[in-house]
Amino acid sequence: MTVRPFGDRAFLIELEQRIDPAIVDSARAIADDWERRGLGEAIPAYASVVVTFDPARTAWPDAARAAAALAGSPPPASAPGTGRLIEIPTVYDGPDLADTAARSGLSTDELVALHSGREYRALFLGFMPGLAYCGMLDPRIDAPRLPSPRSRVPGGTVAIASGQTIVYPVDSPGGWRLIGRTDIAVFRPERVPAALIGVGDRLRFVPR
Amino acid sequence: MMRIVRSGLRATIQDRGRTGHTREGVPPSGPADPTAFAAALELAGCDDTDAAIEVVGLPFVFRCDDRRIVAATGRDVRIRTRTRIPGWTGVLARPGEDVIVEGSASTRFAYVAVSGGLALPLVLGSRATYLSASLGPVPRPLSDGDEIPLGASIAGFETAGRHIEPTAYGNVARAIAGPHDARFPDTSVTAFFSAAFTVLPDSDRMGVRLSGVALEPPAGELLTCGIVAGAVQVPRGGAPIVLLADHQTTGGYPIIATVVSADLGIVAQAAPGEELRFERVTPEYAGRSS
Repeated sequence: MTVRPFGDRAFLIELEQRIDPAIVDSARAIADDWERRGLGEAIPAYASVVVTFDPARTAWPDAARAAAALAGSPPPASAPGTGRLIEIPTVYDGPDLADTAARSGLSTDELVALHSGREYRALFLGFMPGLAYCGMLDPRIDAPRLPSPRSRVPGGTVAIASGQTIVYPVDSPGGWRLIGRTDIAVFRPERVPAALIGVGDRLRFVPR
Repeated sequence: MMRIVRSGLRATIQDRGRTGHTREGVPPSGPADPTAFAAALELAGCDDTDAAIEVVGLPFVFRCDDRRIVAATGRDVRIRTRTRIPGWTGVLARPGEDVIVEGSASTRFAYVAVSGGLALPLVLGSRATYLSASLGPVPRPLSDGDEIPLGASIAGFETAGRHIEPTAYGNVARAIAGPHDARFPDTSVTAFFSAAFTVLPDSDRMGVRLSGVALEPPAGELLTCGIVAGAVQVPRGGAPIVLLADHQTTGGYPIIATVVSADLGIVAQAAPGEELRFERVTPEYAGRSS
């Protein structure tokens, strides 16, 4: 594990740089441990954790020592449990569906069957409010990120990229491949919790 | 009550930011220029947890229905009531009197605080507005005629006239290399800390976009990781973006350097067409493997 300074009020702790649910679990355990110490927020992702602190309360060298100690002897990872099963009714009519199917050597029906034919696990949330990174896609689906991102993707769009699938919560820029859409609101500030999908929840896309 | 007479181009409610929901993907929001924001609160006798108004596109005009201490800060900002008063000064506003906040062509973000604070409910623990997800007690830009309830004024009127020395908005911001600097070609890191960049017009509360030297990005893809304000992302094209308050919570572009928090305002307030440079500062701790 490496620890790198990230400005004057955070550090980036990096784990082995690949997408693997076990590594995601380790990253989340490190984030939980940091937050339990009350130093500041921690942001886990696929294989890294950004740990933040408030320089007015914790001197930089002390925070650096705490981050190094945590990376040196990380807490044991635990799986997040089976979570809820959330069904996402999906209309598969996205603008990238045909192209992604073609580059994968599949018909669009086959791609839809593969995407909707398995359960995904929510690995972590990031980017925009309520956006859950869910894996893993069937490896037969070849979906690298688009070479240049769209400036606007409508909220509710179902997208895939790099072995993952997401639902865009709100209108935002985006570089993923758009394969469908859903009416389900994955983020509503007045709801508790505001994010529909939590880490560990299972997702199933149901063709409509 | 505070009544907005002229709301400027885009005025939003901001407090010091929304923490505790980052792991749900909720950005911190809060002021683009935290230093000027904090000064406005202090001058108006507010608590540091209070909310103020961030204005893009002055003038901004408001009136209060009772006596309040008000303050306006930001780059090249001043207040006009009966007289013209420099910014970064506590001002006594009489009941019903128009308070006009003015700037110049170089003003980007102005902060307007009123004693007693804005009495608005918390949404996900904060009063900050995040327009992209319609978040906050006022999840839209303020409009002419809006009325905002104020808290009980705790500022003694003797605090009127207090002054805080404004930020010197130069064109150099201090930055710490990384966290992904080692992944870049050395020439990119050297170029980043020596080149003069130009601020592009499509800069906003999410980030300041720069043009100038194209920085060669690292080979290969990076896994998405968490982000903090000040992070300097380098997308494929090589034109850096300095992320501000409304930044995404995670991102997949490599981060060549991170602007120190005290200098975020310098970056945020740089006007389109202006030059911006980055001075490398070394943290006390140089990064370590374990």
